[in-house]
Amino acid sequence: MTNPRARRTALVAAVCAGGLVLSACAGPVEGPTTQASGDRPWSEVLAEADGQTVDLWMFGGDDAGNAYVDDVLAPAAADLGVELRRVPVADTGEAIRRMLAENAAGRTDGAVDLVWVNGDNFATGRQADAWLCGWAEDLPNRQYVAADDPLVTSDFGVPVDGCESPWHKAQFTFVHDSARMDDPPTSLLGLLAWAEANPGRFTYPAPPDFTGSVFLREVLYATAGGVEEVPAQFDQAAYDDLSPALFDRLREVAPSLWREGTTYPRDEQELNRLFADGEVDVTMTYGPATLEQLVAEGTLPETTEILTFEEGTVGNASFLGLPASAQDRAGAMVVANLALSPEQQAAKADPSVWGQFTVLDLDLLSPAQRALFEDLPASTVLPPYEELSENAQPELGSGWVGPLDEGWRRQVLAETS
Amino acid sequence: MTDHRDLLRATPSLAAVLAIAGVGMGLVVLTSFGLMPLVGAPEASLAGWRLSGTDLLLGVRETLVIATASTVVACAIGLAVGSLVLAAGPGVRLVRAVAVVVLALPHLVGAASTGLLLRDAGLAERVAGAAGLPASAGWPRLVGGPWPVATVLEFAWKESAFVALVVVAALGATHVARTETAAALGATPWQRWRRVLVPASLPAVGASGLIVFVYTVGNYEVAWLLGRAYPEPLPVLAFRLFTSVDLTDRPAAAAAAAVTAALALGTAVVVAVLLPSLARALGHGVGAGGSDLAARAGAAR
Repeated sequence: MTNPRARRTALVAAVCAGGLVLSACAGPVEGPTTQASGDRPWSEVLAEADGQTVDLWMFGGDDAGNAYVDDVLAPAAADLGVELRRVPVADTGEAIRRMLAENAAGRTDGAVDLVWVNGDNFATGRQADAWLCGWAEDLPNRQYVAADDPLVTSDFGVPVDGCESPWHKAQFTFVHDSARMDDPPTSLLGLLAWAEANPGRFTYPAPPDFTGSVFLREVLYATAGGVEEVPAQFDQAAYDDLSPALFDRLREVAPSLWREGTTYPRDEQELNRLFADGEVDVTMTYGPATLEQLVAEGTLPETTEILTFEEGTVGNASFLGLPASAQDRAGAMVVANLALSPEQQAAKADPSVWGQFTVLDLDLLSPAQRALFEDLPASTVLPPYEELSENAQPELGSGWVGPLDEGWRRQVLAETS
Repeated sequence: MTDHRDLLRATPSLAAVLAIAGVGMGLVVLTSFGLMPLVGAPEASLAGWRLSGTDLLLGVRETLVIATASTVVACAIGLAVGSLVLAAGPGVRLVRAVAVVVLALPHLVGAASTGLLLRDAGLAERVAGAAGLPASAGWPRLVGGPWPVATVLEFAWKESAFVALVVVAALGATHVARTETAAALGATPWQRWRRVLVPASLPAVGASGLIVFVYTVGNYEVAWLLGRAYPEPLPVLAFRLFTSVDLTDRPAAAAAAAVTAALALGTAVVVAVLLPSLARALGHGVGAGGSDLAARAGAAR
């Protein structure tokens, strides 16, 4: 029993304990959210940032995104005297956990300077008071963002309050292979009916996977009778009222899903694999920008097309968040501001670079800046953002996410597995 | 006296293990009772245990199914491979080298490879399809199916190499003398295997089997990659809850981790206590006169 292998037995316990030991050092941080000194002249921030190294933690599984940060954003940051280091993570939650532990320990020399974040991960940080707030509205390039754009003032129902700076917009997208689907459905309920008419050809990732979780909210809107029937903020009475129809419908459709709904793909990558292998005819994503590359490299067929629904799909924005425990705050602000510049936003929107939709309001740009966007080549797979986001539905408040995921687990997965 | 000296020698490593694992487990248990929240004030509560109550029971069942099946298959294959190596026939070096390579590969790589091989539209199905077998019509659900077949096979494949090497290491020095004596006493090769090698290797198989079982109970990545979404084995349940975006799920995650550790430690203690008598009992059970032959063969060295 002295073999080192025996020590691996408490692997999970050790993983849990490791985080807890760190977090236990100083206990939870109470009190108001840390405020940045946003009123000081930008030249002072630039001067302070000179020579700093900013660690940007972001999902590392998106090759185009990695290439954009390494080849376009980082060199531009270097011109401003800031070294930008990309820290790839398998899941944004890893960055959040690191940041929460550092924050709980009261550190201000943390390893996380910026996080590509949105939705429930942002809400988790707010729950623990771990974001630096009040800085994002003061960035000089913020002038190009419409102040009343609901996608950038609120993140899944949680007020942004300058705790994160918008980076790009996204639209939940259903994808099919036009060569395999003759008469594609035009609504979400139509898609579920199609699944019943074509047994085994449709499935969705199991929540709490991010994509599966969005799919649940899409079906909730559909079974509730529309966006206006679901209150944006979580409300137990509304949940009790609306969730039975949602779970009933999903239980009903389960026997017609891939593998009769006895199991579900774990995540979007797994669903994409099933789609690419021809096992199912539909996949879905909140990051349609990746489709261009997937088709170009041959992972997905050239006949890959977007399914357009009459009622639209949900849309959101993703952001760059600055942890309260960050060591290189000035540098992080300089990078966030740079990422908002028309030049960077246009470069990132190029389908051959990353193809992410801009958060800037083109009406606020100069003609020369606007031309940067107008001259971009069109995507071979995606329609323009205006078309894709037609009838866009707002995201539900993050308070809905947990109860819906857990409800699905108990009432659909447990009963149909 | 010897016991005292042994204990004294073991004290530094025991202290290190207890300090690290003990403090960690203490914190996990405190968290499971709501006494170490990441946000908010500590408040003693059973909410974490209640929250994951049903999942915990299903998790224990799933974990035991995976761990027991993996251990049994790994021990059986490990003993067979160990016997091959000990038989010292041609190709022994190759078998030994393969076992070392298998052992050196991380489980994550093993799990990913098993997935690529066994899943629907995986290599095995494609090869079967190309060979004209009617595989594509009904390829068995080995990955993510109702039974954790792929998970068990991955564990068994990798851990059997470990069992084999332990068996070889435990018997290697004395094996030749034993079998030669047994042969001189008139035992056939089959008798030598059944009545000499198997009983002599049982303590090694039992000890390595215990390590395999305990390791399998605590392993996360293999079941996560190759298992189904529900029900989850305990480590997967603990990890999912620990990484939940809702920080109030942490007590439930800690409860699952505590049960995982208790299951592993409990099994280790019980088996470690019972192992000597268990091995003796099993040794007696291996054919009439088996232990007698083994004892005589053993005495002859």
